[in-house]
Amino acid sequence: MAMVMDLDHFPNFSYATASTDDGCNWNYWSPVVDWEELSAGQEDFHHLIDSMVVQDVVLNQSPSPSIYQDYNNSSPDYNNSSPEYNMMTDDETNGSDDCKGLRLIHLLMAAAEALTGPNKSRELARVILVRLKELVSPNDGTNMERLAAYFTDALQGLLDGTACGGKNVPGGGCGHQYKEEHHQTEVLAAFQLLQDMSPYVKFGHFTANQAILEAVTHDRRVHIVDYDIMEGIQWASLMQALVSRKDGPPTPHLRITALSRGGSGRRSFGTIQETGRRLTAFAASIGQPFSFHQCRLDSDETFRPSSLKLVRGEALIFNCMLHLPHFSYRAPESIASFLSGSKTLNPRLITLVEEEMRSPSDEGFVGRFMDSLHHYSAVYDSLEAGFPMQGRARALVERVFLGPRIAGSLARIYRACGEEEWCSWGQWLSAVGFRPVNTSFANHCQAKLLLGLYNDGYRVEELSSNKLVLGWKSRRLLSASIWTSKDSDL
Amino acid sequence: MFHPKQQKPSSMNSHHERPMCVQGDSGLVLTTDPKPRLRWTVELHERFVDAVTQLGGPDKATPKTIMRVMGVKGLTLYHLKSHLQKFRLGKQPHKDFNDHSMKDGERASSLELQRNNASSSGILGRSMNDGSNVHITDAIRMQMEVNRRLHEQLEVQRHLQLRIEAQGKYMQTILEKACQTLAGENMASGSYNKAMGPDISGMKDFGPAAMNFPSLQDLNIYGATDHLELHHQNMDRSSIDPFMHTNNDSMMLSKKRPNPYSNNSGKSPLIWADDLRLQELGTPAAAPCLDDHHQIQIAPLSIDRGSDIDSVSDIYETKPILSGDHHDSMGDKKFDASAKLERPSPRRMADRITNHAAISAGGITQGRSSPFG
Repeated sequence: MAMVMDLDHFPNFSYATASTDDGCNWNYWSPVVDWEELSAGQEDFHHLIDSMVVQDVVLNQSPSPSIYQDYNNSSPDYNNSSPEYNMMTDDETNGSDDCKGLRLIHLLMAAAEALTGPNKSRELARVILVRLKELVSPNDGTNMERLAAYFTDALQGLLDGTACGGKNVPGGGCGHQYKEEHHQTEVLAAFQLLQDMSPYVKFGHFTANQAILEAVTHDRRVHIVDYDIMEGIQWASLMQALVSRKDGPPTPHLRITALSRGGSGRRSFGTIQETGRRLTAFAASIGQPFSFHQCRLDSDETFRPSSLKLVRGEALIFNCMLHLPHFSYRAPESIASFLSGSKTLNPRLITLVEEEMRSPSDEGFVGRFMDSLHHYSAVYDSLEAGFPMQGRARALVERVFLGPRIAGSLARIYRACGEEEWCSWGQWLSAVGFRPVNTSFANHCQAKLLLGLYNDGYRVEELSSNKLVLGWKSRRLLSASIWTSKDSDL
Repeated sequence: MFHPKQQKPSSMNSHHERPMCVQGDSGLVLTTDPKPRLRWTVELHERFVDAVTQLGGPDKATPKTIMRVMGVKGLTLYHLKSHLQKFRLGKQPHKDFNDHSMKDGERASSLELQRNNASSSGILGRSMNDGSNVHITDAIRMQMEVNRRLHEQLEVQRHLQLRIEAQGKYMQTILEKACQTLAGENMASGSYNKAMGPDISGMKDFGPAAMNFPSLQDLNIYGATDHLELHHQNMDRSSIDPFMHTNNDSMMLSKKRPNPYSNNSGKSPLIWADDLRLQELGTPAAAPCLDDHHQIQIAPLSIDRGSDIDSVSDIYETKPILSGDHHDSMGDKKFDASAKLERPSPRRMADRITNHAAISAGGITQGRSSPFG
């Protein structure tokens, strides 16, 4: 790549002493040039850019005002000598925000490309990351700037080889590793905020619960096996619904079996035992007959159906919440063992909630990198739109949940580059012979109502008869789907 | 005060797969005359018919009740009066369908049908001429289906309310537990707040602001009348964004679409109130908004008192949390702790006070004096 060749001298100079000349040099391969180089054969990214840039003034405007604005910081002389640039930036704050955002995207892409592309240059990647770090901070700036900060950190981690989720860590327990760095109260506060700010958590829980309720209308005993129970918040609303149901026999007995993981350390907050106690207390407070069990996964987080205690006559449900914003990452092997294990038990229903990522096909690291960027920028935007003035709240949610997620997912993409043929768990379920169960009118209705409580930009789509997708604007983020095993009568 | 801007009344039309989808293009179409005339679009007429049916037929319905039930912003008694008159006379203004022989209820049903099936008016008209009753039966069946869906939606709404409350309640137990644990851990170091240290400072600062997001109240509001909804959104937004209240006017019209359920407002508050289960369990005031005025007072009250620092807990009492009511032993203490935990910094509080003052001075009175706000 010509760009790469031009920049061969970069590793030799230090940014701490960056002079105005260097800055100009840097401008020489401004985002515009850059873009042409990097986007070759990847027109798909244009719509990404379109979605991030409100006005496309940027592309034709060669020396971008914000570049000068940035250099003002490092070289006061420059500032004095060119007052006109300052005026420009004052007048066009929005334009320069967009411009900066765009530039950040270009830099991130360039770094990703340098890290993994055909002309690998770790030195170049390092230089670009240094530059990026000067431009962004995870704690302030626009959405794009904060997002870029997390992506920069994640890339830096990959570059230094310190990223968690390396090949030697089975399951890449990134979530855990990061979360434990945060104080429990922070995690808790962030969780509460996340719930208030966005429908992500409730959408998955309520949609799954509604499907469960509909599947067990006439049952006296219900048994739910929960793959990742976390703090158990999903079940409070289910109990409430079971207690208040009018048709069918009186409140059924509810049994929840939570899968526990040995050796994966502490949960984000509280343990499974605590969750069990809390759920039991809650059930008692509303008069829901309830019992709680644990089922230990094997050391490699494999699920063995035989370890599950089953009672004849109970409606068996498998609940699989994956990768909600506050969840830890779970290894595909573990999830697969749970889902395929469930099949042998012939459950009434499988509820699955998973992240929607565009299928990467053959785009390689950069393509998947950009897809992640797009995905998380939609998440950031949705949070900002809901709470425009709550910058600190958002920063906390970003720091506690989203930052680690970004790092983890980039690490996995990096690791899996060229190996893993990715598909959604829904596709997987269908491929191994589970049958879709239609989402009901009520369920769809509920999702719409729920989103109505939040910002206008959220949308719910019925992507197929058994799947509801929560999206922000045009980007799909989270899907909930309902399945049953073939032999079930449902 | 009429803005020519399109509004989006949503449709309760539920015969499709995605019945709640807002018919974006429908809306109040007003002329730009000084005395704007209203164009009764098909959508709008549908809602009108819905309302009339709900109120027990054209003879029982009055313009005022219809206005409340429809809950379409910008619609005035004047509009409804003349439309109801025409409707009673059996003159359906924008379709050729006309059947004087039918009883009122049936007529409403047939009109229902008409909106349910794009081409049905033609068919219906023809079949009427043929003297066939088959389509009337169809119409009634379809009407029943519509009613069933409508009922289902209301049920869903009610259930969603309860579920959100349950989830909130549960979340509260987690928070309380965390507070207890922290308090325990830090007993030695003395002051609770101090012990929370920098770790929790973030939470202290913005906790209430975010918690103030009244997801539950929103649901209630959706059950109440439109002006309440607007009014509430104004407050909500303003409390988030101090600059918002300066352009309340434009916001009132440009903000969210009316909720699809608002046209059932006549009923829903009663439904909320009917189900007292959670309330009995100690969920405080937010859940049942017994009537509109009651609701009006709740929101501003707690907010006006925002000037008093201690009233953070007052705000909280409108949220469904496990407070002293049912946790006799230590409920109160725990509640205090959580209130403390979420108390904002003075600066933040000051901001909020200013906002709230502005709202109660401007937003609320404006909301009330607005003819259809």
